[in-house]
Order: sequence, then C-alpha cells, then structure tokens
Amino acid sequence: MLIIRGLHASIDGKEILKGIDIDVKAGEIHAIMGPNGSGKSTLSSVLAGRETFEVTAGEVVYKGMNLLAMAPEDRARNGIFLGFQYPVEIPGVSNVNFMKTAINEQRKYKNLPPLNAAEFLKLMREKMAVVEMDNSFSSRGVNVGFSGGEKKRNEIFQMAMLEPTLAILDETDSGLDVDAMRIVAAGVNKLKKPDNAFVVITHYQRLLDYIIPDFVHVLYDGKIIKTAGKELAMEVETRGYDWLINP
Amino acid sequence: MVKKYTYTPEIPEVFRCRVPLPETHQAFIMNGILREGVVNDEGLSIISNGDSGFRLSVAPGASIPENTQIITVRDESNTESISYVNDLSFGSNSESSILICSHTLSMDEFRTESEMNISVEKDSRVNIVVMQNEHNKSSHKVKFNITLERGSYLRMNIVSLHGGLLENEIEARLAGENSQCELNGIYLVDGKQEIRTTVNMHHLVPRCYSRQLFKGILDNESKAFFVGKINVAQDAQKTEAFQANHNLLLSRQAKVYAQPQLEIYADDVKCSHGATSGRLDENAMFYMRSRGIGAAEAKLLQQIAFVYDVLEKINNEQLRQRLQDLVESRLRGEFSHCSNCSLNCC
Repeated sequence: MLIIRGLHASIDGKEILKGIDIDVKAGEIHAIMGPNGSGKSTLSSVLAGRETFEVTAGEVVYKGMNLLAMAPEDRARNGIFLGFQYPVEIPGVSNVNFMKTAINEQRKYKNLPPLNAAEFLKLMREKMAVVEMDNSFSSRGVNVGFSGGEKKRNEIFQMAMLEPTLAILDETDSGLDVDAMRIVAAGVNKLKKPDNAFVVITHYQRLLDYIIPDFVHVLYDGKIIKTAGKELAMEVETRGYDWLINP
Repeated sequence: MVKKYTYTPEIPEVFRCRVPLPETHQAFIMNGILREGVVNDEGLSIISNGDSGFRLSVAPGASIPENTQIITVRDESNTESISYVNDLSFGSNSESSILICSHTLSMDEFRTESEMNISVEKDSRVNIVVMQNEHNKSSHKVKFNITLERGSYLRMNIVSLHGGLLENEIEARLAGENSQCELNGIYLVDGKQEIRTTVNMHHLVPRCYSRQLFKGILDNESKAFFVGKINVAQDAQKTEAFQANHNLLLSRQAKVYAQPQLEIYADDVKCSHGATSGRLDENAMFYMRSRGIGAAEAKLLQQIAFVYDVLEKINNEQLRQRLQDLVESRLRGEFSHCSNCSLNCC
C-alpha cells in the first residue's frame, strides 16, 4: 500500500529526514518511535503533504501512485488521513460544517452525490459514538475551546467519518490521560480492517498496550535505526533509546 | 393592515431582493424619493421627509413587527448626483428592528449622499441592519448621526457586500446615562473597490457602554480605511468603551489603513481599542486540505469564519442566515458573475 524509499526532506535548508525506507501493507499497524527531534512529525507531515517541508530525494508510492506529486487534498481524497499532534482551531467553522464539507468534497472527487442532511446526521451520530463524543461538539467551532483530550478525540472522530485507507496518527497519545487514551485506542481498534493500515507515531510505549503493532520502527536523527516486532516497544520502554543509538 | 405592495412597473421586474423576510413591511426609496409610505396602527410610520428622503418614527411604547425594511434603490431614471436626509426617531420605551438596504439597478455612475439622523429616545431598544450592495461604478456616502438618550440601546450592523466606493461615517452620541451603543460591520472589497468607515463614539455622560467590531476582507487592489475614535468627556465616569477592527488581506496589493484612537478626559473608565491586519492562516489551510477539502474551498471557509463573529451579532436568525448566504456567494465571487446573483446589477 505504501512504499517509502530513500526519503530525504528538509526545512529551511536543514535536513531532517536522511533516508527513510518503510513498507506498509494492508491490514498492518506500524509504530514509529524515537526521541524528540528525530524526525517523526516531519515524516507524517511529508506524507500528508505539508508544503513547508521540501523533499530533496527519494520516493513514496501509495497504491501505485507517486504520492509526493499529489496535493494534500488529493492525498486525503485517496484515503490518507493525518491525525495531528496539535489539531488546529478554526473559530467560526462548526464541526458539523467542517465534516460535511470534507465528506462531500471527498464524495465529489469520487463522483458520488453529496450526502443529504439526514444521511449525514446519521453518520455523524454513529461515529461520535465510536469516540464517546457528546453531541454538543457538533455545533461548536472546530477544536475551539476543546481540551487536549477532546481535540485528540475529535481527530479520531474525523478519522472514523472519513474512513481512510492509511491513517497516520502523529502522537495522538500525547497529553492524554489514561481514560482518554483508552477511548482513542478503542476507536482505532474499531476502525481497523483487513484493507486499511495505520502508522502510529508515539513517544511512549503506553499507547501500544492498547494498539498492538505488527512492526515497531525506531527513528533517530532522520533514519530508521531499528525495525522489529511489538517486543521492541517494550524493550525501548525499559532500556530507553541509548542502546540503539550507541550500540 | 396592508402587507403587500406592488411597484411594477416602477421597480423593474429583475429586482428581487433576497434579503427581506416574508411578510415584511417594505418602503422603497427610489433615487431618494419615497414611493409609498407606511403608516400602521402598531405605531410605525414612514413618510416623506419633505421633497426627498424619509422620516421614520416609532411611537413611544410601541413594539413594531420584526420585519420592517427600507429599500433604497438607484436606477437609470435619475443618474444625477443626489443627496437627501432621513430622520429616524424611536420613541421612548419602544422596540424596533429595521433593515435598510441599498442597491443599484443599472450600470450608471451613481453618486449618492445621504444623511441618517437616528434618535433613540429614552429606554427604547433598536436593532438596525444596514446592507449595502451596489455596483462597481457606484459611490455612496452615508452619514449616520446617532443620539442615544437615557437607558436606551442601539445595535447597528452594517454589512457592506459590494460597491465601488462606500463611505460610512458614524457620529454616535451617548447623551443619556446608562445608554448602550453597539456598532458592528463587515466589509468585503475586491478589484479596485474602496470602503471608508469613520466612527466617532462620544461618551458624554457617565455609565454608558459602547462596543464596536468591524471586520473586513480585502482582495486584489482594494482599499479599506477605518478611522475610529472613542471620545470620553470629563464627566463621563464609569464609561465602558471598546473598539476593534480586524482585516484579512488576500492579496499583496490590497491595502488597509486603520486608525484606532482614544481620547479620554475622565479618569474612571474602561476602554480598549485595537486594529489588526493579517493573512489566511497556513496551519488552518493545511488542516482543512488534509481532510480532503480543496484549497479554494478551504480559503473560503476561513473567510466565512473570519467574519462569522460579526454576523453572529445579527439577532434575527432568519435574516442572519440570509445575509450569511449572501456573504458566502459574494466570497465565492458570484457577484461579479451575474449568474447566481439575484440583483442583476453588474
């Protein structure tokens, strides 16, 4: 589904990613761990198409397409979803309007008719239940006045609405208490299907108690320095990153 | 009570104002002349103010129906420069909501100057929405002279959708204790359009409240001027006065000149003022695009969001929704392509 080869990216002339290779297949969950500043968020931003990063070398093939040539909205319309580490507040745009616009723009791209109000509300209610979100959220401005946990739940809610093929969750667990994390993780687990895949970027092993990854990659200084099964996360939790950085 | 008037052929068939609400009391001012007045037994009267302009009065204690609209129109039957004076008086203890629209129906180079003397008598409550939608060759200056008496309340929302040169000059005098004045505005300009807003808020007596919020979106080579001054007299202790002007610039060539000013002679007051100008938020753009919303639509959503808190201040929900739709189609650029505009003016 996703093939990353020799990916280099920089911001303001400073190289952040220094050659990344990852293969993600349908049905898999990949975890990317690593210390602060290793390039985890850069990787997710590059995959979603944030223009502040410049890709200097390498390629990314997604469902056979050259992902790097696609606009962010076209990536999303083809099933890529980025759960933001810091979800953006958009005052004046209600959650319900935001999601309706997003869904219908994606449907338009697929030559499907827009959802009518009743269909949309039904979908919205169904998906809000997935993340145990209160109905009052729908009329509020996108992320405006939401607590950290509510913002992250809103990300998972949006993911549930859009049903992506490849979801990249950038430190969705940061700033969450145990209860909120359980809800977020349960949301991911409910959405997991044989034909989709998740890339979960995290700082801590904690989240991986709830979302069991098939592969764990350790990213350091812009490179993947170790790839293994879920046991690697446990090892990082007890031993830290030092033994991997200075073997 | 007569609810419906027929104006054809005087009002061209093409003119269908989308703004008025059902069962509206309408009065038309064609090129400065009142076509037909309104006098009803609920205490509302709109009559000619001499040769031109109108005189609106609400009887003391009256509560006039929500939907009173004054439509001022310019068309090819008089293309000279015109000026006229309107007097509006709201009797003590009355309650009113008025919508005042201005339109142009032909492509002539109209120049219009009007004065709007608004007297808000004691303990009355008044909501005025002004909607301006004229073509690119039109220049329209409105001078509002507002006086608020003891315990009265006025909220005026000016929605300037379109026009070559629109000037709104507001002199507001809080002349009676415990009076409250709220002035809000949205202006949307593009091409070579220009809008000038001047507000002088005079706090003359103690314990009055005023709040101003003006927001504008500027594209292409358009210009906006905002000169706002809060003037607090020496006697006007316990004044609360706030003013904000925010601008969103969509192009490098668009220019905004903002001058927020305070002149305070009293020493026990709460006042603030501020002006900002900025661009679209790149983070919000990327966030929306990452959800599959195209760049153009994301831009539009942000613009609507920018002016939303001003629209929100229009009390009547139905009217607010209509104006919001108009703002949206204006921002979509549908006003310059006649196809989706009901006004057929450009």
